[in-house]
Amino acid sequence: MSTRAVSIGEWLSSRRVAPYLFVAPIIVFGLAFFVGPLLFAAFVSLTDWDGLGHPRWVGLGNYLYLAVTDRFFLKSILNTFYFAFGSVAVGVPAALVTAAIIARSKYQAFWRTVYWLPMVTNIVAIAYIWKFVLADTNGLVNRALGVVGLPEPNWLTSPSISMLSVILVAAWMSLGHNILLFLTGLNNVDQSYYEAAEIDGANAVQLFRHVTIPLLMPTILFVLITSFIAALSSFALMLILTEGGPVRSTTVTGLYLYDMAFTDLRLGRASAAAYVLSAIILTISLVQLRLFRRGGVEAH
Amino acid sequence: MATNRSVRLRLPTIFRYAALSAGAVLMIAPFLDMILGALRTPAEQLAIPQVYWPHTPQWGNFARVFTELPMTRWLTNSIVVTLSITALQIVTSAMAGYALAKYRFAGSRFLLSGVLGAQMFPFFLLIIPIFFLLRFVPLAGGNDQLGAGGNGLLGSYMALILPFAVTWYGVFLMRQFFMSVPDEIIDAARIDGAGEFRIFTSIALPLVRPGLATLGIFVFIYQWNEVIWTMTVTRGAPQLQTLPVGIYLLRGAFADQSTESLQRAAICISVIPIMVVFLLLQRFYIRGLTAGSVKG
Repeated sequence: MSTRAVSIGEWLSSRRVAPYLFVAPIIVFGLAFFVGPLLFAAFVSLTDWDGLGHPRWVGLGNYLYLAVTDRFFLKSILNTFYFAFGSVAVGVPAALVTAAIIARSKYQAFWRTVYWLPMVTNIVAIAYIWKFVLADTNGLVNRALGVVGLPEPNWLTSPSISMLSVILVAAWMSLGHNILLFLTGLNNVDQSYYEAAEIDGANAVQLFRHVTIPLLMPTILFVLITSFIAALSSFALMLILTEGGPVRSTTVTGLYLYDMAFTDLRLGRASAAAYVLSAIILTISLVQLRLFRRGGVEAH
Repeated sequence: MATNRSVRLRLPTIFRYAALSAGAVLMIAPFLDMILGALRTPAEQLAIPQVYWPHTPQWGNFARVFTELPMTRWLTNSIVVTLSITALQIVTSAMAGYALAKYRFAGSRFLLSGVLGAQMFPFFLLIIPIFFLLRFVPLAGGNDQLGAGGNGLLGSYMALILPFAVTWYGVFLMRQFFMSVPDEIIDAARIDGAGEFRIFTSIALPLVRPGLATLGIFVFIYQWNEVIWTMTVTRGAPQLQTLPVGIYLLRGAFADQSTESLQRAAICISVIPIMVVFLLLQRFYIRGLTAGSVKG
């Protein structure tokens, strides 16, 4: 090695060059599996394409079709919001109350673990387990209702309550994750607030209303919004549990466009639908980011 | 006053544990229902009304899953794919996370906001384009130079692994962990003449070992349970199906009630091992979830 020329090895591991090598893999894969596909999908959304022949340019035709002609697209968006609002409205309060109780109980590790089990269970198993539990005649729930003499609803086969059933399963599934976030928040709450309130004679419900909720507000907002966003883009549960039925009562936009793409091979329309739903989700995400920056919620 | 206080505290205590126990039953009962369902005979399954408690638990159903269903292949695929993705994501996340935490270079701020921004994009937007881009990879899977004629990469493990080589969340997570490595240690190594890669592998990486474990377990469980993408790719390639996807795509050929026990046994096998992993390594997994909600 001469003193003037630097060897290639040294040059590569110099402070000037090494950082680029460290980030090279994520740039390569990011271009191939993120930026590239995004652009490709944008192009496809402006064409009529079945995945085999040549795409035919239709401009904004697919977006117009979804907005004007397609009777079901708007309904699928409504279903998506119904599901998102429903699963958040059921799941987040349930998780908050459970976390608040766990935080003030013994054997915390045990309770936590029990509630976390669905969190590590694959979606196929969750959907099938509940398909069996909610089955019309042989299902555990209707057997139990039958024993007590209560009416046995068709949880998954009646269009009027199928979405409600999906919402309940989704809430059950995400309970553990939300409990975890709330417990993390609760552990950061200064215990002296509780002691002071107890000395003042507050009961458990008052403690929850006047101490836990206000102190946990940033976490609650965070969980509400991120759960809502996640629910807007999820469709695997409906795909496996109800296949979007009965009579498309549980077809959310994600599922609608997935079928459009991989069953009907209408890739242009499906890509356009994907961009519309993504635009909605990204808008809400950006609002959330601004909200939290301004609120000074640095812990989350 | 003293009696008053104890009454006030004891009632909620009983109520509290009653509520937690009721909730626990709600969480566990569906899983028990799954196990009971796996232990019935076909006759019990078909009886009207269906027999709920199996007379003699058919533990043999778990063995039959391996002879009557392609369970071995599903398990192999699940393990190969999940381990490959986990290894790849650890490497890519650690390298990029380190660079974004410890260097300022042209474009580093842009890249960091890219990493944060990319996490906001929903996955369904990428499914369609990635599927077709993989199909049109030239000279792979029977394709010509222009990417036409064959199936491209869709018929290989690559299709299941490569799209998940990078996790934006993981890059961000590792950056958080590397931020806690003191600059002084790195500067001292530089003064001693160590190259940047030496510093990375022998000084920085060992210091974030808990972070690597967190990311690894988190990714492993997540990818073991991945369904949507794998299902999309392997609908036409049964030899590549992973455990959950294989169970799901069985339904057409396998849906009558007499074989439902086998299906449920297969579901048990897809769930129980991962639960054991989780129970053993809980604390790492949990850190992966909570660290992500903390913005740096």
